[in-house]
Amino acid sequence: MWVKDMLDVSGKELRACLQDVGVMVFFIIVPLLYPLLYAYLYSHEVVHEVPVVVVDECRSATSREFLRKSDATADLKIISYCADMEEARNLMHRHKAYGLIHIPAEFEKTLASGHQATINLYCDMSGLLYYKAMLSGCTIVSLDMNRDIQMQRLSGMSDWEKDVMTMPIENEYVTMFNPANGFQAFLIPAILILLLQQTLVLGVSMLAGTEAERRRAGTLILGHEYDNPITVLGGKAMAYLLVYGFTATYVLCFVPWLFGMPQLWQLPTLVAFIIPFLLSSIFFAMCISFFVRDRESCFLLFVFVSVPLIFMSGISWPSSNMPTFWKVLAQIFPSTHGINGFARINTSGALLQDVRIESLSLWVLTGIYFMLSLFIYERMYRSDKMPGAEFVLAMRARARRNIRVAARDIKETSQELIETGKRIQKIRRYKKGRKGN
Amino acid sequence: MSGTKQGFWAIARREIVRMQSRPLYGLSMIFAPLFCFLFFTTLMGEGLPQSLPAGVVDEDNTSVSRSILRNLDSYQQTEIIKQYSNFAEAREALQKNEIYGFFYIPKGTQEKASSQQQPKISIYTNGTYLIPSSLLYRDMKTMAVMASAAVGREILYAKGANLDQAMGFLQPIQMDMHPLGNPWLNYNVYLSNTILPAVLALMILMVTCFSIHTELKDGTAGEWMSMADDNVLKAVSAKLFPQTMLFSLMALIYLVLLYGWLGFPHHNGFWPMFVAAELLILASQGFAVFIASAIPSLRWSLSLCTLWGVLSIPISGFSFPVMGMPDALQALSYMFPLRYYFLIYVDQALNGISLVYSAWFYVILILFTIMPLIDIHMLRKAAHEYTYLE
Repeated sequence: MWVKDMLDVSGKELRACLQDVGVMVFFIIVPLLYPLLYAYLYSHEVVHEVPVVVVDECRSATSREFLRKSDATADLKIISYCADMEEARNLMHRHKAYGLIHIPAEFEKTLASGHQATINLYCDMSGLLYYKAMLSGCTIVSLDMNRDIQMQRLSGMSDWEKDVMTMPIENEYVTMFNPANGFQAFLIPAILILLLQQTLVLGVSMLAGTEAERRRAGTLILGHEYDNPITVLGGKAMAYLLVYGFTATYVLCFVPWLFGMPQLWQLPTLVAFIIPFLLSSIFFAMCISFFVRDRESCFLLFVFVSVPLIFMSGISWPSSNMPTFWKVLAQIFPSTHGINGFARINTSGALLQDVRIESLSLWVLTGIYFMLSLFIYERMYRSDKMPGAEFVLAMRARARRNIRVAARDIKETSQELIETGKRIQKIRRYKKGRKGN
Repeated sequence: MSGTKQGFWAIARREIVRMQSRPLYGLSMIFAPLFCFLFFTTLMGEGLPQSLPAGVVDEDNTSVSRSILRNLDSYQQTEIIKQYSNFAEAREALQKNEIYGFFYIPKGTQEKASSQQQPKISIYTNGTYLIPSSLLYRDMKTMAVMASAAVGREILYAKGANLDQAMGFLQPIQMDMHPLGNPWLNYNVYLSNTILPAVLALMILMVTCFSIHTELKDGTAGEWMSMADDNVLKAVSAKLFPQTMLFSLMALIYLVLLYGWLGFPHHNGFWPMFVAAELLILASQGFAVFIASAIPSLRWSLSLCTLWGVLSIPISGFSFPVMGMPDALQALSYMFPLRYYFLIYVDQALNGISLVYSAWFYVILILFTIMPLIDIHMLRKAAHEYTYLE
């Protein structure tokens, strides 16, 4: 019965997973701890209080007001008022400050004469978040002060200027689905999905590598249930799916909850989406695992792939601006669709119909990788090209030789018997002849 | 081992043979870094994303709203791909990832504007995609401010003010932003400069640890040690020497790619970065040997090296600054060689300041290199009495 065989394989695989500390590290420990580390790393979401230095050559009431207000924003923190640019630059070079606000000497005078006065901002570009903090901090302050200055000028001024003041169109900014507009809500969902795929690839490869090693050593003999590739692949997939049911629940539901990240998913959508993701990842992992020859090489082969994969998903660098080649290549990895789908289900409350392209892609990938793993398994198993098959091959050759020898023996013996029989008959006939005479 | 050659070069030659014997080494030492070099530099070839798809909901449909939209489309980074008839439709498009953001102009904007009621136009972006969201916001915000100013400016012109006077009134204080070292806000400069060495360092950590422990696992460690007269330092350095050379070649490739081919800022020239890359290689090897000696299990030491290599990418602080991390992780960031490489890059390539400021970072990388001196004797012991642990 193939169902029983499948359950047998599944049970054996599950036992192999549970007994193997190395695999358990990938399937349980890494998914347990790694997301916590990452979420903790980005728990502040954005950078606050970026240290900046100031060179105030104007030293007027207005310039001081600007600096005081900048210092009061959440974005910036003035750590030093420098006498000249040289001193300020020195502080920046020593990584004490990441920005420099320079107010020129003629600032107040220009402002008083009704012209546009300029404040120079210099920003260290080792991180774009410094730039962002500086730009937004100073812009808020300048908009605020501009309004005050306009108000002051309006009092007692002509009507036409008041007309202008009543005209402006207000604007508001809503960053949907990421209230703090921060790193955690944007990057963590992607990392969680990628983590599931990569730990699967690593764990399954480690199991396959161990199997290959044991075959080579001749300590692994597979039972008859391993003859049918569908029961083997199906059984193994069932075992992994069982383990990852728990892992995924923890990683995708518990971790975001723990860190208070946006969680707008609806359970049916999430389940209906994650199943094809896990299945496609499992068969993807199996396809690759056939080429792994020993336990530890999975580290060297697959870990680095995570770095390009996270970028291929388009979560960081927009996919609309990716070169076509990479965009196409990205489609073959379950993580690409998984990240895009999960990010929207989790963070922007998308329903299954909103992510149907991703969901469909994952089912297609599941089909493709299942067929592919079937094909590879079939070829490797039947043609004895499976890693470590040398041993199996030798055993079979010996058996065949034995059978040949046995067959020859039987043939020889039987011929001998026949000949003996003939000789006996001959003797009998001879005896009969002598009697007759 | 009688019959086997002794000495540094013999071990190095033996290592080359070992490296050639398995495709695994070629894949992880040559293919993996080259693939990543090519991937990241071409992925972000545009530098700053252009023509990000955005949408618009114009419920007002008047001359004012149309002029706002026309202006918005003229921005290089924003491309209005579709006009939606209502808010719900646009939000759905946002959820389907067709657009990264949209502009919402409610009904009666022009009417309110002319009847002095301060209408409000709204900018919505999808914060799930942080980079396009921030970039769109910048364009749209400027546009919204400009739209408001444009109305006022027209009136000021009509009243006889010139441009200078008009701007002096509408925006008395203006900001002049100078992004130092990367005035184009080029993401390729911002990310590739650290991701490429990060991938290389990751591979170095893993390959070093793997190649040492495979000797133990395969039972060839005895032969290896005896070739070095049981001098573990000699054995390790000779074994790693061919790898160092190969990794140096990889480093040279990415340096030429970044600073030669793509012409990224390298204000102090090629050499400070070359030395930094070489020291990063040695520091990573040193760190890996330290771990490999301390933990006598292939899988556990390899796991730790992998963790270190992967973690060094976020914790070095090139995408999310270290100062924004929790204190415990800030302290931990000092334990990653890549962190110091990144700091050297900022000083020497991006900002081009005096070498004096970076001297310490070079020294610390050297300290990482000699770190194995602490515990390498344990490796010698392990080489003689080792049992493989699955």
